[in-house]
Amino acid sequence: MSAILRQNAEELFAHELEELQKSDSGKRPANWKLTPTAAVTYLTGGKLKNGFEVTPKYIGNKRLMEIAVATLTTDRALLLYGLPGTAKSWVSEHLAAAISGDSAMIIQGTAGTGEEAIRYGWNYARLLAEGPSEKALVETPMMRGMKDGKIVRIEELTRIGADVQDTLITILSEKTLPVPELNIAVQAVKGFNVIATANNRDKGVNELSSALKRRFNTVILPVPDSIEEEIDIVKRRVESFEKVMELPAEKPALQEIRRIVTIFRELRNGVTLDGKTKIKVPSGTLSTAEAISVVNSGLAMAAYFGDGQLKATDLAAGIIGSVVKDPVQDKLVWQEYLETVVKLREEWKDIYRACREL
Amino acid sequence: MAVHILGIRHHGPGSARNVKEFLERVKPDIVLVEGPPEADGLLEWVGHNELKPPVAILVYQSDDTQNGAFYPFAEFSPEWQAISYARAQKIHVRFFDLPAAHQFALEKEKREAARKEAERLQEEAQQQVEGGNGQGKTALEEEAAERPNSGSTPDAGRLPADAREQLEGNNGNGKAAIGGEPVLIGDATTNGDAETVQAVSIRRDPISYLAEAAGYPDGEKWWEHMFEHRLHSEQVFEAVMEAMQVLRETIPQPEDRMEACREAWMRKCIRQAEKEMFQNIVVICGAWHAPALKEMPSQKEDSEVLKGLPKVKIECTWIPWTFSRLGYFSGYGAGIRSPGWYNHVWKYPADDGTRWMAKVAKLFRKEGKDTSVAHVIEAIRLAEALASLRQYSKAGLAELNEATLSVLCGGEAMPMQLIQSELIVSNRIGAVPETIPKPPLQLDIEKLQKRLRLPATADWKDYTLDLRKENDLERSIFLHRLQLLEINWGAPQGSSGKGTFKEAWRLQWDPELSIEVVEKGNWGNTVAEAAEKYALHQGKEAGSLGVVCELLDKAIPAEVHGATAGLIDQINNIAAASGDVIQLMGVIPSLVSVTRYGNVRKTDGELLLGIVDSMITRICIGLPAATTGINDEVAYQLLELFGKLNDAVSLLQNSDITAQWQSTLQTIAHSQHSAPVIRGYATRLLTDYKILEGEGLIKAFSYAMSAATPADIAAAWLEGFLKGSGTILLLDQQLWNLVNNWVASIPPDVFTQVLPLLRRTFANFSQPERRKLGEKVKSGGIEQVSPVAANGDIDPVRARKGIPVILQLLGITQTTSV
Repeated sequence: MSAILRQNAEELFAHELEELQKSDSGKRPANWKLTPTAAVTYLTGGKLKNGFEVTPKYIGNKRLMEIAVATLTTDRALLLYGLPGTAKSWVSEHLAAAISGDSAMIIQGTAGTGEEAIRYGWNYARLLAEGPSEKALVETPMMRGMKDGKIVRIEELTRIGADVQDTLITILSEKTLPVPELNIAVQAVKGFNVIATANNRDKGVNELSSALKRRFNTVILPVPDSIEEEIDIVKRRVESFEKVMELPAEKPALQEIRRIVTIFRELRNGVTLDGKTKIKVPSGTLSTAEAISVVNSGLAMAAYFGDGQLKATDLAAGIIGSVVKDPVQDKLVWQEYLETVVKLREEWKDIYRACREL
Repeated sequence: MAVHILGIRHHGPGSARNVKEFLERVKPDIVLVEGPPEADGLLEWVGHNELKPPVAILVYQSDDTQNGAFYPFAEFSPEWQAISYARAQKIHVRFFDLPAAHQFALEKEKREAARKEAERLQEEAQQQVEGGNGQGKTALEEEAAERPNSGSTPDAGRLPADAREQLEGNNGNGKAAIGGEPVLIGDATTNGDAETVQAVSIRRDPISYLAEAAGYPDGEKWWEHMFEHRLHSEQVFEAVMEAMQVLRETIPQPEDRMEACREAWMRKCIRQAEKEMFQNIVVICGAWHAPALKEMPSQKEDSEVLKGLPKVKIECTWIPWTFSRLGYFSGYGAGIRSPGWYNHVWKYPADDGTRWMAKVAKLFRKEGKDTSVAHVIEAIRLAEALASLRQYSKAGLAELNEATLSVLCGGEAMPMQLIQSELIVSNRIGAVPETIPKPPLQLDIEKLQKRLRLPATADWKDYTLDLRKENDLERSIFLHRLQLLEINWGAPQGSSGKGTFKEAWRLQWDPELSIEVVEKGNWGNTVAEAAEKYALHQGKEAGSLGVVCELLDKAIPAEVHGATAGLIDQINNIAAASGDVIQLMGVIPSLVSVTRYGNVRKTDGELLLGIVDSMITRICIGLPAATTGINDEVAYQLLELFGKLNDAVSLLQNSDITAQWQSTLQTIAHSQHSAPVIRGYATRLLTDYKILEGEGLIKAFSYAMSAATPADIAAAWLEGFLKGSGTILLLDQQLWNLVNNWVASIPPDVFTQVLPLLRRTFANFSQPERRKLGEKVKSGGIEQVSPVAANGDIDPVRARKGIPVILQLLGITQTTSV
């Protein structure tokens, strides 16, 4: 195993991509590594003609992935919307890996993201020494993606200031990036497109201008429909992490995962699963992604401090950490939940005790 | 001679197009269409320019109108196209399904058999319990648990039959299919209990086997892409026939008499046509039946099947139908999900989604949602990309919807509901020519609808009627009459505080109302006549006063005088026989309030007054006895009625009645045996009438409050007396003293006992009243002089200036100038 902490999707699933490419006989859009149908299969999983099993990357509605891939075959950009932890970045990474074989063309959106991070920057030493020339240009992932005909990812688009966001308009509608200093323009090669992700929760931060919005097709990624679906997601992701992190602990029992997912779902929806008891909702989002990280940290605890088996005590700290985001309000919510719901469940005694001790 | 059998999907625009093209190419001399032969006579109306689909043929049993079936047709139904073609070409066209007369009779037999079976099982279970020891109970439970299954044994053959129905009946999702497959009313209402539910859960659409083999998620989608979206019809019917042949061979088909009879009858009709020397016969039937008609067994075999079929009397007519009734979600669980879309596909077969998207954009703009042409372009491109990703030749509704969601709605599902109702269902109502022979009641309703300008629409519409206007009054009477007939076209809405001359209605025509119209046709040929007779009939059936009064309540605004008089008689009769004073008291207030309508509705209240008069007399006689020996619960119930009755009496302003009422009150007030709370209230009412005043009141009061009276009875009396208001205590010092002394004299242990009673009494008073009472108690019984009066700081000169105005307000003419 390589020393890299976390491999890119296209490296981690290189084998699957290769198999897909082999069995993929349809017509590919220019510069695509896979046909659209194969790209959807890569995301949603399935069996190939030669019997090769592709693992699902996105568990949920297949139609959403179809819309996403179909969007990228047109010249419209794709905007993935959703609550934090609904696998937006995950999907965007895998889409880029499947289509361009390269998920590294990424621009992280922050409040401080400037135009030079999206369009191009200058190597000032060169600029001063040699004057403006193409050599003095610092290319951004966007510029490279345009030149190579690849998918470019923008994370957290709504965090970027409105003025900077709008620099995307020309790129998206005219597929060209002018460099007025040099009197040239980079024209996008076929296969170039943009996948942006944005967060439902704080969309008010920098709401997209309607001109920019019009250039995106929007796909809203929902929280998992059913508890079974959510458990499946957590299980798969935890298992893949285990492999990557080389944890010596045993595989987590489905039982434990189910409990965590139950707690998260109940607190997120404000009602117990049987629909009988109302529960206060904490301020955090309690996404599936957080459930995954709770199980992961629990596994690590069990491996290094416990007996290698995932127990309630290993999970308690993680659960409390992700539920109680606001030390005053959420604490009350959590205690109420603990006393009114967890305590009453016969088979949850261990988790109740573990949480009380902390 | 050639017989062409065209297996179709009912309401499939593709099928409709294929049928049309086929007919134009083959040019047959007779067309046989799946449907009830009784309706053959109605076919001549197709092509009439006032018969506009969606329409349906209503078939009903003449002696039991509840038993009926609808055969709906939309413009995109293949049957409709076939009939239209035949009418236009002036060739023969016939329905060739098993006559409804036999179908209804068979259904009835089946229902009865099922019922008997259920009864038998119940009996068996019963016997088991009776004969059983300790285990009897579990046996019953087991039996009960089994019953849903075993109850449906006669229907066991129906499960696949239902499955087949789905197939022929279009999209494989419904119970009874639409089109050639009738929507059976009796079946859905009377028989549709556990068995039907179970049938739904078990059955599987046979087409789904084919779809599965082709890798489609569901049968409907497969059929749509294979047959409906095809633009060219070459060999499509042969393909359907072959597919169905294989299906019929592969899927086991248990015996089902109805299905066997239907197919035998169809074959019989084909033979008949051949015998009549028609050379080129085209047969249009549900896809499932097609193979059965291709291979003809011997004539004898079929006649054997059709021997001795039961029969009932049948009538039929055209009625308007609506798209939402064709729709998937309108209660049948059958039909097509998107009639609006199908209509679009039928009208614009070559549309690649552009026209549809333009419609969507137009709708959005109308609703104030910015939608540019670029949006439309992008949406179409996405829909096409999706279609090619899914390897469809053309974007279907699913692709267009997903594109709309992603491009036009920004992922938000809310605006999609707008498209759903406005475009995908796109509700509309068909039309039927006036000259079509219809039940007379239907004709009368239509005539009135036209005259009063109340069109029957598929979507609801609100009307506010001003009863002072002639036309509006007539509308109201018409709607009230329909209500009386239980034809619930209009629903009265609460009109808020606009006085009694306003009425608000919400009207929405539901095609199923037609069956009600037919049914109520027994009662008369005009709305007025039918309403009158029906109301009278119901009045006679009803045993309780409450029901008859409710009817009367409805009959009066409907102005059915005969019924009103009859119902009043009826009330009188029941009232005379009824010893239940409480029941009588319950209806008086509503009767009295009905007389108030007199002025606006021009209804003669005199009739009513007579009855009210006699009823109050009865009440006055029976009431004193009714108030004795009753428990608290009844007493409080009676107390409420007392108040309402008193209001009613005051409202009547009839001195005789009032005098009678007052003397009854006297009796009750002085009775030793009446419930104390009622006695107290009666005393109070007498005080209000100023019959009991001054000394008399004090006497009655102190008598009731005297020390010998148990404290709880005194408290109950006080509660009755002070019901609603305690002002009298504030005003009358003597009464105040009585109450005050009484409370003071109650020993502590009894005090805790009566405290809840007292608290209940005083808690109902208004806030200021309670405050004043409290202040009075605090000041030791002497009410404080109001601080304003104590304020001597008055400017006499300015005060005097106001006097003339006050005098004028009080109506005193000023004689001396100041």
